[in-house]
Amino acid sequence: MKMKPVHLRKLAAIMEVKGKALFSKNFIIMPIFSLGFTFLMKTIYGAVTKGAFDMSAYALALGVLMNLMMVGVYCTAAALAEEKEKNTLRTLMTSSVNGLEFFLGSLIPVVLMSTVVNVLCAFIAGFDMGLSQWIPYLAITVACSAISAVIGMIFGIFAKTQMSAGTITTPALLILMMIPMFSGFSGTLEKISGLLFTGIIFNAIANIGNALPAADLKGILVLAAEFLVSVAVFLALYRKNGFER
Amino acid sequence: MNQHYISIRHLSKKFSKDFVLKDVNAELGKGEILGFLGPSGAGKTTTIKILTGQLRPTSGEAEVLGIPCDHIDERIYEQIGIVTDVSGVYERMSVYDNLKYFARLLNVPLREIDPLLKRIGLYEHRKKPASKLSKGQTQRLILARAILHRPKVLFLDEPTSGLDPSTALEVHKLLMELRDEGMSIFLTTHNMEEATKLCDHVALLNEGVIVEYGSPEEICLKYNRNKKYRVQLTDGTRHLLEQNSQAAEKIASWMASGRIETLHSCEPTLETVFLEVTGRELQ
Repeated sequence: MKMKPVHLRKLAAIMEVKGKALFSKNFIIMPIFSLGFTFLMKTIYGAVTKGAFDMSAYALALGVLMNLMMVGVYCTAAALAEEKEKNTLRTLMTSSVNGLEFFLGSLIPVVLMSTVVNVLCAFIAGFDMGLSQWIPYLAITVACSAISAVIGMIFGIFAKTQMSAGTITTPALLILMMIPMFSGFSGTLEKISGLLFTGIIFNAIANIGNALPAADLKGILVLAAEFLVSVAVFLALYRKNGFER
Repeated sequence: MNQHYISIRHLSKKFSKDFVLKDVNAELGKGEILGFLGPSGAGKTTTIKILTGQLRPTSGEAEVLGIPCDHIDERIYEQIGIVTDVSGVYERMSVYDNLKYFARLLNVPLREIDPLLKRIGLYEHRKKPASKLSKGQTQRLILARAILHRPKVLFLDEPTSGLDPSTALEVHKLLMELRDEGMSIFLTTHNMEEATKLCDHVALLNEGVIVEYGSPEEICLKYNRNKKYRVQLTDGTRHLLEQNSQAAEKIASWMASGRIETLHSCEPTLETVFLEVTGRELQ
């Protein structure tokens, strides 16, 4: 596939519109929900353990997972589905916007919002990190936000309406969240979790909390592979969407 | 020599086993309006989709601004404007912000938005969310967006479908102004009055085949076999006369005595031509 040039002027315009859309009433509830969920987990686990164990890493991991699913996957899918539902995607495609510009313009605002929420989640969860821990935390959360946003765009391409975006993303969101959450109960789930970006960030937060390296080489390769495959699938679907459909 | 902005040669398109376009030929020069006229399902929208790179032809060739349509990429969209029945607007954004967004995408100075809004009669509504616009206003916003970057070729798919007569008239006036400014316009319609009024050339399309092609006057005169004249006299009586020496004498005597109120030739309309050629109604 020949790489298209990216015009910063177009990219900035798309990012501005997409960024504003994320703050609309349809979408702003999702990051707020993730922050609230983190606070709830922190409070519940704090009450259950009565402070005997530091459960901040676990509460943070759950909050980050929720954020990646709701902001990263759901908001991106719903925003793209809305563009299809209102016929603005086709209008953009016939207004000199290429697939890569649309892709980056949609991706960057979501990743930025998701990253800000992930940072806020760390404070809400009371997850104490030094600079040497913040750097891997930010790196891995940004990477996972990007992957979740691209996956959201793939769902958005398939969804015909915002409502159907919710319907088709829900099972995937549950699977992507629950496998890491229950990976401790089954060897098979643990292996599968190690191949999912959600599983890698779930373990990474625990590792950061234990002053261990956030991810090993295999984890980094899995993240890179999932990102590249997701991007390739999205661009192929975007091109296909404009022809013969 | 007239430069052809659109050139269609032996264009065919097949969906599954059915041809929706068969051996279509047409040309559009600078500052001309070409209309594809036909009922629903005639292949009009398919033609626009092929010309704008949204569909690939099964066979034949089509070029827009010298670029083959199966090689169109996003760069051509900086030189053409498209208005279709599925053109969308950003409903949460204001009228102005909708145009601002596309001005930034198409590298149009923002100072050109207000004059355009005044020209299409939406300046008073520029701060209104697009979701609050009427259908006619939304159609005008879509049209404004399509001409924002002053394209060389404008594609319009049923531009006045569903609009009230006064809004349709405003759209017609704007299209004629754009044509006079040198913009080439390719439009599809099933409204024969619209085609007659606007188009320099029309193609009557039926089941994917062009059954007649030419200027509306040429086509109508070609089928004006039974030449008749409709006369209304000052006393209110009406007469339908065939073209012959007796009728000529009668008309001459009425004219001499000042009794003629109105006198019209009765050449067929595009609609009656279409009905005669295809046996189908346009609507």
